[in-house]
Amino acid sequence: MSSSSGITGFKQLLRRTVLVAGLGLAMVVEAAQPIKIGYSDWPGWVAWQVAIEKGWFKEAGVDVKFEWFDYAASMTAFSAGKIDAVTVTNGDALVTAAGGAKNVMIIVTDYSNGNDMIVGKPGIKSLKDLKGKKVGLEIGLVEHLLLLNGLEKAGLNEADVSIVNTPTNETPQALASGSLAAIGAWQPNSGEAMKRVPGAKPIYTSADEPGLIYDVLTVNPVSLSTRRADWEKIVKVWGKVVTYINDPKTQPDAVKIMAGRVGLKPAAYLPFLKGTRLLTLEEGKQVMVKADGFKSLYGSTKIVDDFNVKYGIYKKPQDLDKAIDTSLVNK
Amino acid sequence: MDNTTHDYLSQSDAVKARFDKLKQREVILEVKGLNKVYKSAQGETTALSNVSFKTHRREFVCVIGPSGCGKSTLIRILAGLESYSGGQVLLDGKPVTGPGRDRGMVFQGYTLFPWLTVRKNVMFGLEMNGMSSEEARREADLWLELVGLERFASAYPHQLSGGMKQRVAIARALVNQPRILLMDEPFGALDAQTRCKMQAHLLDIWRNVDVTILFITHDLDEAILLADRILVLKANPGEVQELIEVPVPRPRSVDQLFTPEFIATKARLEALIHPPASIASDEVETVKPHMIRFTNVADNVE
Amino acid sequence: METTAWFAARQELPPNRRKLLAIGSFVLPILIWCLVSYVPFLWHPMVRISDPGAVDYFQADMLVDKAVFQAELETVQTQGGALPVGELSNPIYLPPPHKVAEAFYTGFTTPPASKDGLWLHQSLWQSIQVIFWGFLLSSLVAVPLGVLAGTYSAVSRLFEPFIEFFRYLPAPAFGALAVAVLGIYEGPKIAIIFIGTFFQQVLIISNTTRKLDYALLEAALTLGTSRLKLLRHVVIPGILPDLYRDQRILLGWAWTYLIVAELIGTSSGITWFITQQARYEHFENVYAAILMIGIIGLGTDLVLAWLGKRLFPWDKPANKQ
Repeated sequence: MSSSSGITGFKQLLRRTVLVAGLGLAMVVEAAQPIKIGYSDWPGWVAWQVAIEKGWFKEAGVDVKFEWFDYAASMTAFSAGKIDAVTVTNGDALVTAAGGAKNVMIIVTDYSNGNDMIVGKPGIKSLKDLKGKKVGLEIGLVEHLLLLNGLEKAGLNEADVSIVNTPTNETPQALASGSLAAIGAWQPNSGEAMKRVPGAKPIYTSADEPGLIYDVLTVNPVSLSTRRADWEKIVKVWGKVVTYINDPKTQPDAVKIMAGRVGLKPAAYLPFLKGTRLLTLEEGKQVMVKADGFKSLYGSTKIVDDFNVKYGIYKKPQDLDKAIDTSLVNK
Repeated sequence: MDNTTHDYLSQSDAVKARFDKLKQREVILEVKGLNKVYKSAQGETTALSNVSFKTHRREFVCVIGPSGCGKSTLIRILAGLESYSGGQVLLDGKPVTGPGRDRGMVFQGYTLFPWLTVRKNVMFGLEMNGMSSEEARREADLWLELVGLERFASAYPHQLSGGMKQRVAIARALVNQPRILLMDEPFGALDAQTRCKMQAHLLDIWRNVDVTILFITHDLDEAILLADRILVLKANPGEVQELIEVPVPRPRSVDQLFTPEFIATKARLEALIHPPASIASDEVETVKPHMIRFTNVADNVE
Repeated sequence: METTAWFAARQELPPNRRKLLAIGSFVLPILIWCLVSYVPFLWHPMVRISDPGAVDYFQADMLVDKAVFQAELETVQTQGGALPVGELSNPIYLPPPHKVAEAFYTGFTTPPASKDGLWLHQSLWQSIQVIFWGFLLSSLVAVPLGVLAGTYSAVSRLFEPFIEFFRYLPAPAFGALAVAVLGIYEGPKIAIIFIGTFFQQVLIISNTTRKLDYALLEAALTLGTSRLKLLRHVVIPGILPDLYRDQRILLGWAWTYLIVAELIGTSSGITWFITQQARYEHFENVYAAILMIGIIGLGTDLVLAWLGKRLFPWDKPANKQ
């Protein structure tokens, strides 16, 4: 703010301060800055790169700056209040909120469609074969949830298998060692596990339960409330992005842009995109309807919330009504 | 030459006259009842006990004594680098309270500043005391000429030999025009030949410069060759044993090494520093071990 | 002398032998790498499939263990069907030298794939800036503090115990804190380099200062130097060449914190390149990037060593041949 205007400038500042008094002075400063969104290496989020390179945000008249992070670093930056929004899974949005950084999910960008999987060693043909066997995965993470979900469908429960806590990036070696019947991991670890153990196959994947893992754009509630119009524009841009990626005519260009962001050849990137189901605004609208079960973001998030509380990731269930805002996709 | 035992106390007339004249000069340094006690966890150690002596202007005094007699402690106290526990140290009648440029010091180790050229080393003291660098440079060059190192003015200390380094150190101390030059075994690390040259050189300087010298050494020949008087200390605790007036006439040179005065003085010093009893008890047993012959019987060397 | 032994304790070798060994120290590991990469029977524990044949899970370009390939081959031979074909290969994490050299070259010649992307040299430049600022800020505080602590016992007693404690705390542990305080860009990265360097720097420099021959201070005192002037005119010039050497070593340490520093906040610099390439198993690019860091580090050090010789002509160790 320029100080050359002296008294007038001060009065102006005073008036604006009074206007936003409830929100704090910090917002006055922030209003002048671009909206900062942290994104990371997951196809549903790399998709934003298309809008960035096509200049669609400028077209829509919104000043947005996307910052590229490692996934964990992006959550740290959001928790520290350094960015206005971040791309995460619905489960991690809850974990972030439980840690104190409240956030509101405004768009469902995609759901995992096969990238997360339970991989059985040769001879293990289905989840039923796991009865009484050892499964290696990272307890409390999304693969754990995937396994429980699958076991239930197969008529088993958690007590029927013994879970060995294994860091996700070590699951390929763990499966290769032969002492486990199966592992749970996401790409590229799951793919590497299958390469290492010839004959190993996915016996249950996120494609078998669409909606188990939703990926979202979640926003700092203060930013959402003070710059609502900007966020509406951003949501509109997402619609354009999905259309562009899904259209067979423009898809090659989209994949080229996305592959460029992560440093891969377009052909090498395509399989990762296939394991992700991007959601158009219309599809997103349908997912963001209150219902039980995995078809609804509410239902899915409720299941994750219960799971998180059960496994002590956090103590108290989160308020889902405050964690999800459907009004922007419905506008 | 008269080889009968000569008494170190008897002085020729010329020598006696010199000493009378010397004692007429004003006292530069006076040490009165100096005590130094080190306190440690093991208790107290007395390094110096009741040391008293005087030096006159342009006198050359050597301090000698067995190891542990506190001669280094003494000179460090005089330089103001160490505190003392009792007694007085007076320079021109004023008590010494810390290091100062009125007392120059030459150390046994080479203490030239390695990052400065020879000239800059000599200029150091002058510049530290506020002299302009131009003036300091002129002064320094004068003194470098005196020690014969003007050609090495731009060299760095590591390019000099040990003897040259000490010559620079002497010039560096003298350029400040101190009342007394304190020298702590300055030639101890030099080879015999260099040391000989340095001794002659030091006497030359001393003859031409108005300076009093207090010189510590453990070499008896060096002490006799250089000193007007020799302060002999004994060990545990360090006490003055005797202040000997050297009867060897000046000018001195190595040719005097076998004159009766020299031999008599050396004998006296030997007796004071290495009493016969201690030689007998310490060394006789160990020096005669049983020798086994390792060479061919016919292969004789003597 | 002709007869100087290759192994004489603490004896310097003649210049031609020194040069030979210096070249050898680089050539030898490269030679071993070449042998392992190009001579199949030395290691090559994997088979790269070129034709999957009748084995249902084999794919072209897939790497499988030699034993697995052998077993599947025998199965197909007994049961009939198209035989799988492949050639011996090393694991994916050991690319051959020519691939790395190629990656090294193409790394610099490939324009960034995305519009807001950076050329490799720009990423490297980002990393160099992080190191530069982290090291500079650390030095601005640590060098004076270290010199004072090495000179005055009071300063040493006041600061060093805490610094001794703090230096054991791993710098990366301050990542989240650094982001919260300094934001998401260069700030927290520089802070990690700072934390990783600063505490060691104070201790090393105070130690170097203490090693200055005390007799030089005494000599200066007897020349009439006041205690205040000792620091500027004796202590600092006296330790300068050693201080410079310390700084060279510490700069190397600062580089070792680069990777953890750059993982904090937005992805940037050479680390972004390395982690991204490693995630998709493009190890030749990873090796090329590691190589670049090594070349920059060694290059900087050689330049600084050369500069040191000229800056401190009185310094014997630096000028010893």
